[in-house]
Amino acid sequence: MKQEKTFIAAAGIIIGVISAALVFFGNPVNMGFCIACFLRDTSGALGLHSAAAVQYIRPEIIGLVLGACIAALAGKEFKARGGSAPVTRFTLGVFVMIGCLMFLGCPFRMILRIAGGDGNALFGLFGFALGILIGVFFLKRGYTLKRSYKMPWAEGAIFPAVQIAFLILLAAAPAFIHFTEPEGGPGAKHAAILISLAAGLIVGVLAQKTRLCMVGGIRDLVLFREYKLIIGFAAIILSALAANVILGTVTGTAYFNPGFAGQPIAHTDGLWNALGMMLAGFGCVLLGGCPLRQLVLSGEGNTDSAVTVFGLMAGAAFAHNFGLASSGEGPTANGKIAVVIGLVVVAVIAVLNSRKQEA
Amino acid sequence: MKEYIATFYSHFGAIRFKKACEAIGLRAAVMPVPRNLSSSCGTCVKFQASGEETFPEKNEEMEKIVQIKGDTFCKVYEAEG
Repeated sequence: MKQEKTFIAAAGIIIGVISAALVFFGNPVNMGFCIACFLRDTSGALGLHSAAAVQYIRPEIIGLVLGACIAALAGKEFKARGGSAPVTRFTLGVFVMIGCLMFLGCPFRMILRIAGGDGNALFGLFGFALGILIGVFFLKRGYTLKRSYKMPWAEGAIFPAVQIAFLILLAAAPAFIHFTEPEGGPGAKHAAILISLAAGLIVGVLAQKTRLCMVGGIRDLVLFREYKLIIGFAAIILSALAANVILGTVTGTAYFNPGFAGQPIAHTDGLWNALGMMLAGFGCVLLGGCPLRQLVLSGEGNTDSAVTVFGLMAGAAFAHNFGLASSGEGPTANGKIAVVIGLVVVAVIAVLNSRKQEA
Repeated sequence: MKEYIATFYSHFGAIRFKKACEAIGLRAAVMPVPRNLSSSCGTCVKFQASGEETFPEKNEEMEKIVQIKGDTFCKVYEAEG
């Protein structure tokens, strides 16, 4: 047990350092990793949305899925499963993404933003924790999306195979794949492909071995007073913070900039930062894990999680096609309406799938 | 008394089984699934019973039951599919 906690802390430290290093190697600031942003960029590269500033097939995502897949295969934990409310999961994925793009980041980027000194992310963390508490309330009332079932091996292998196809498309760069023009926005800022891929692979293996989950940490603390997973969460913040300070000292460029105004790819509207992450936290508890965890589970052969990731990608496309995503200027009116609709939809899903009387 | 861990496909299944254990006087607690038992991050029920014949009725959300033997787990039941 103690060994497990040490392993999670060590994994968190390594992941925090890798996240800071990715910014040094070219990723956008405070965005060494961001599952929401990277899935959004990949959606854009595939032409699912046409926001020219955010189009790039992110190798970190490919690495995460394949790393988790390799670790699961090596540990004989690759199991093709599915059939647990896929359409509901797709819908939850769509709205989790809309919440994340209101805030401008997934829970993983939220902690990297905190480690970069972005005070706006603290409002996000408050909303995120609140969303998790609401989700836990429904878990205690008997919320379930029902069990999954064993699937043929090939069914579980499709999602990792799709990632290999994405890697080929990235390397071949055919004309129909969209890439943000140099200096054209966050999509143009990225580390070299092999560095990003290697970072994804390492984090994918570590996340599979530790079951690291940004939602699981707070959820388990509230449900079981179990702080194992939250150790990883805390370790990432502390190590990314330390790495940012060290990088700043060594390079002369500030990687840790405490404050609220002028933070990179962030806005200062505290209420909507909190509400966006509340939607993400609530939806993720109902899904059983944060976007990072969904990628890792997809790599383990879980097709329900693969459907969720497709939902996240579709959500990113809706967010940019309908003007829902925030920018550095702040949230949009459409985005606010979408987050409110999202909170209502997620609450309805929670109520309809809770079975207190049977429990 | 022997110690067992039951794992489930959903948190709901675990809560229901814990209540079923308590209803027939078995000591039971919900907790996160130990990592060396499964890569799932769901909820399990740790319970004490004198033997398999005293287990409460299994619900459809149950995945498996293992007996804790020191640092290892010995499978005593696994659901189909």
